[in-house]
Amino acid sequence: MKAVGARLPRYDGVGHVTGRTQYVDDVRVGRTLWVKALRSPHHHAAITKLDTSKAEALKGVRAIITAADVPRNVYGHLEGLGVPGDEPLLADGEVRYKGQPIAAVAAESEEAAQAAVEVIEIAFEEKPTLFDIRLALDPEAPQIHQWGNVYPHYGPYNHRRVRKGDIDWAFEQADTIVEGVYRPQAIEQMPMETQVCLAVPEASGRLTIYSCTQAMYFSMGVVAAHLEVPLNKLKLVGGTVGGGFGGKVDTASDTICALLALKARHAVKWRWTREEEFLASSTRAAWHIEIADAVTSDGWILGRRMVTLHDSGAYARFSPYGVTKHAFHHSGAYTIPNLRFDGFVCFTNRVPTTAMRGFGVTSVSFAVETHLTRVASVLGIDPWELRLRNANRIGDTSGNGVVMHDPSTVAVTLAAAERVGIELPAEYRQMTSDARSGELLPEHLVAQQRLNGEGA
Amino acid sequence: MTLIVNGVEHEISSPSLTALLHVLREELEIMSPKAGCQQGGCGTCTVLVDGEPRRSCLTPLATVEGATITTLEGLGQAEELSPVQAAFHNRYAAQCGFCTPGMIVAATALIERKGGAVDRDEVLDALGGHYCRCTGYVKIVDAVMAASRGEVEPVADLPAPEEGEPDVLVKGSPA
Repeated sequence: MKAVGARLPRYDGVGHVTGRTQYVDDVRVGRTLWVKALRSPHHHAAITKLDTSKAEALKGVRAIITAADVPRNVYGHLEGLGVPGDEPLLADGEVRYKGQPIAAVAAESEEAAQAAVEVIEIAFEEKPTLFDIRLALDPEAPQIHQWGNVYPHYGPYNHRRVRKGDIDWAFEQADTIVEGVYRPQAIEQMPMETQVCLAVPEASGRLTIYSCTQAMYFSMGVVAAHLEVPLNKLKLVGGTVGGGFGGKVDTASDTICALLALKARHAVKWRWTREEEFLASSTRAAWHIEIADAVTSDGWILGRRMVTLHDSGAYARFSPYGVTKHAFHHSGAYTIPNLRFDGFVCFTNRVPTTAMRGFGVTSVSFAVETHLTRVASVLGIDPWELRLRNANRIGDTSGNGVVMHDPSTVAVTLAAAERVGIELPAEYRQMTSDARSGELLPEHLVAQQRLNGEGA
Repeated sequence: MTLIVNGVEHEISSPSLTALLHVLREELEIMSPKAGCQQGGCGTCTVLVDGEPRRSCLTPLATVEGATITTLEGLGQAEELSPVQAAFHNRYAAQCGFCTPGMIVAATALIERKGGAVDRDEVLDALGGHYCRCTGYVKIVDAVMAASRGEVEPVADLPAPEEGEPDVLVKGSPA
């Protein structure tokens, strides 16, 4: 325990302040080829023509790949966990978001690669677009994804569900129903280092991939799956990531570089421009969250109905997992005995979305905490009291049935009040996480605890 | 043409309209200036041209002929950090490190220009064009101000170890 509480120097700090830290873009392999991609200029379109022959004939061009060059073009980031694959590495016949890669070129200079991209002959037939997740479930809306506009693979359901207690009873008993709609928007993670990859074919037949990924083994699995090679053909080299914030969890450049390196039999590097980063790198998702709480006049939350629409963008990637995390946290750090949650992964013509600092959870925490303050305001109760009273305690049960043995809501809430300089009444300050009793164990929670086989 | 970079004179073969950033990284393999946006917006490529901070991505080679260029590598070495480097390290102002080279050279130019202690507004003004996505800037601004006052020692806001308490410091560490 020598490190806990100690102020230790960053192990990489001296490298950072002297400029000696090596990022992927700083790795040098002789006469590396540069990669550029042909990306979709349309949000949704059929590709009616794709001809790379003129580009291939240009001086300095060493390899071009399209969907036809990918051993297994369609794969999914969570396929290893049983989520079916849905996303082509390179668009095949159809583009579903602006910036989607269609073809990639490796050439002797960045300029030659870009010149080749610009003479690839391509034609599109534009299709209707969908950007508003509130319309995704409308049967009249344009159909974006091969699965329809909603991810359909949550067991027997087409959405993530949570059911707990008797939600109808809660709403019948309530003195007041408090409703709210919350719409956190998409955010680009915007790391200072753009997406960059260097792939080097080795004499041994292996491929060395210098990757800026935040998720080395995910990337290794994704590359191996698309290439249909065993993992021992790949050596992924990570290192210092120039910022990621979730935006470098998706395997965005490694696979395309790997294929080009194999085809050109040469080291290739792809460094996205800042424009590409904003256009085509995955973002934090936009969400649409509706909450209705059944509450009593004296500040108990008897039940919560909640519907969440998550903007997955054009493909699933990690979104089914993000919505599951969101579902786990939909009652916040509070005990609510009756719950009905329905969360939908919606497809739109936006860039696919992914992690960013609390994947799926920041959105729901924002909504839940804002809503609690709204409930307190409607009831005319101190928002601290409302939170502390409903806060998780030992023996309470989460939405997905986990019985709490060591909840921290009370302690954290009290500490937060102290840190922001709010002096709470003594009766709040004396609250603990101990199992509910007395005034903190109203009839509706007695019933729940009996169901759990815990407490009274 | 020739360029003097970090005190060393180089014969340059890149065409005269090549961006200085490209010359430094691709021809001279000086890696601290980073290609964060290549349109003058982010500050990661900042170097000193005759002591003044410049965006090397927007600086054509022809405009700096004969000039003295200083990159982060020219400010100090691992064994002998400059005051700004030491303050950045000891005050945790570098996190992922990608913006750090630009931040440090711009801060160094500010302190040299002022010739003494700089205040918060001066730091904000000098670093206004430099993005950092990790730190939230507070530690960076504090480090620059501290360096300008010569306070480059490790921050010590933890209580000193009590008698008999085990040594928690890594041997040879500056913390």
